[in-house]
Amino acid sequence: MIRLITPYYFLLLTLPFFSLVANGQQSSSKTADSFIVADPVILVVDYNRLKPIYTKENDTLYVVNFWATWCRPCVEELPDFMVVNDRFKDNQKFKMILVSLDDAEKANGTVKNFAKRLKLNVDNYLLDDIKKMNEWIPDVDSLWSGSIPATLFIKNGRSLRFVENSLDKDELESIIKLYL
Amino acid sequence: MKTIKKIAGLLLISLFTFSNLSAQGYKVGDAATDFKLKGVDNKMVSLADHKDAKGFIVIFTCNHCPYSIAYEDRIIALDKKYAPLGYPVVAINPNDPALEPKDSFELMIKRAKEKGFTFPYLFDDGQKIFPQYGATKTPHVFILKKEGAKNIVKYIGAIDDNYKNAGDVSKKYVENAVEALLANKEVEVKTTVAIGCSIKVKK
Repeated sequence: MIRLITPYYFLLLTLPFFSLVANGQQSSSKTADSFIVADPVILVVDYNRLKPIYTKENDTLYVVNFWATWCRPCVEELPDFMVVNDRFKDNQKFKMILVSLDDAEKANGTVKNFAKRLKLNVDNYLLDDIKKMNEWIPDVDSLWSGSIPATLFIKNGRSLRFVENSLDKDELESIIKLYL
Repeated sequence: MKTIKKIAGLLLISLFTFSNLSAQGYKVGDAATDFKLKGVDNKMVSLADHKDAKGFIVIFTCNHCPYSIAYEDRIIALDKKYAPLGYPVVAINPNDPALEPKDSFELMIKRAKEKGFTFPYLFDDGQKIFPQYGATKTPHVFILKKEGAKNIVKYIGAIDDNYKNAGDVSKKYVENAVEALLANKEVEVKTTVAIGCSIKVKK
């Protein structure tokens, strides 16, 4: 039992430290956030449950990133997404959400561990709707061929931009600024 | 000032949007290019070599992608079933091994041996072919039918509707398309989309 618990505690204790190192001059409130990241929730949903989450009529710009733990360019761009999210997250009209396309049974293992390690401190979903890919992929964007990473920018249920490619910090930030 | 910023932003965005558009490739009905690519047996392969073929099941796939791996057995089964009927599988790895070392030519040879690939597994060395087809991910299927000297694209998309569980497939997109072509009928579902691994290209 002790052997199981110890590494977890170690991780929990070291996270605020890593956060400080990674972000330089972060305030103590940011350190507290790291504890939230230490145990992220990955909500497994089908497309019918996912879509209403980012198509609300509330003047909020939703940045919806589709990723998977096995997708190297996805995992590579996520730290940039988190930096940009940190810049905008206090804006009430901005919301970033991550949608993992991993196998549903990995939600509480691989995906959660990734979210913890990469400090994915946003709302995390896992879209489990394999057999309807040919329906929900074109519904997200009519030109999406299905490759990831892919990012949707949407406000009041109206798609503003869809990028089926990696985005770096500057590209992501300029798109957000344009539509916020 | 704000307007200038917005215009600059739009210009920037149109730049990457354009790069997406230019990579769209073939639509159903287009004539597909032939190629000369090296296979895992070190021989060069072209579509034109297959004199008796009625068409081809061209599949952009690779070693590392979990979706490609999930489909390996089904790709072999497609080749075993349809190569004798005139529609062989031709698999092409479009990835740059500098970005994805698991997709090197050496590891392609290894994987083809391990799995007993019955079809040519080719390396898109220099990444010249996949952009012409408009492949964006692995696996990505293009079914071609020989019409005179041309290879006409008849279907673009996924193999079936369940990458994870071959036992729970409801729609066999590729099989249905090839069956229609063999019966000289119109392919009913001409394009489908499914999640796949993006093709690895240097930025």
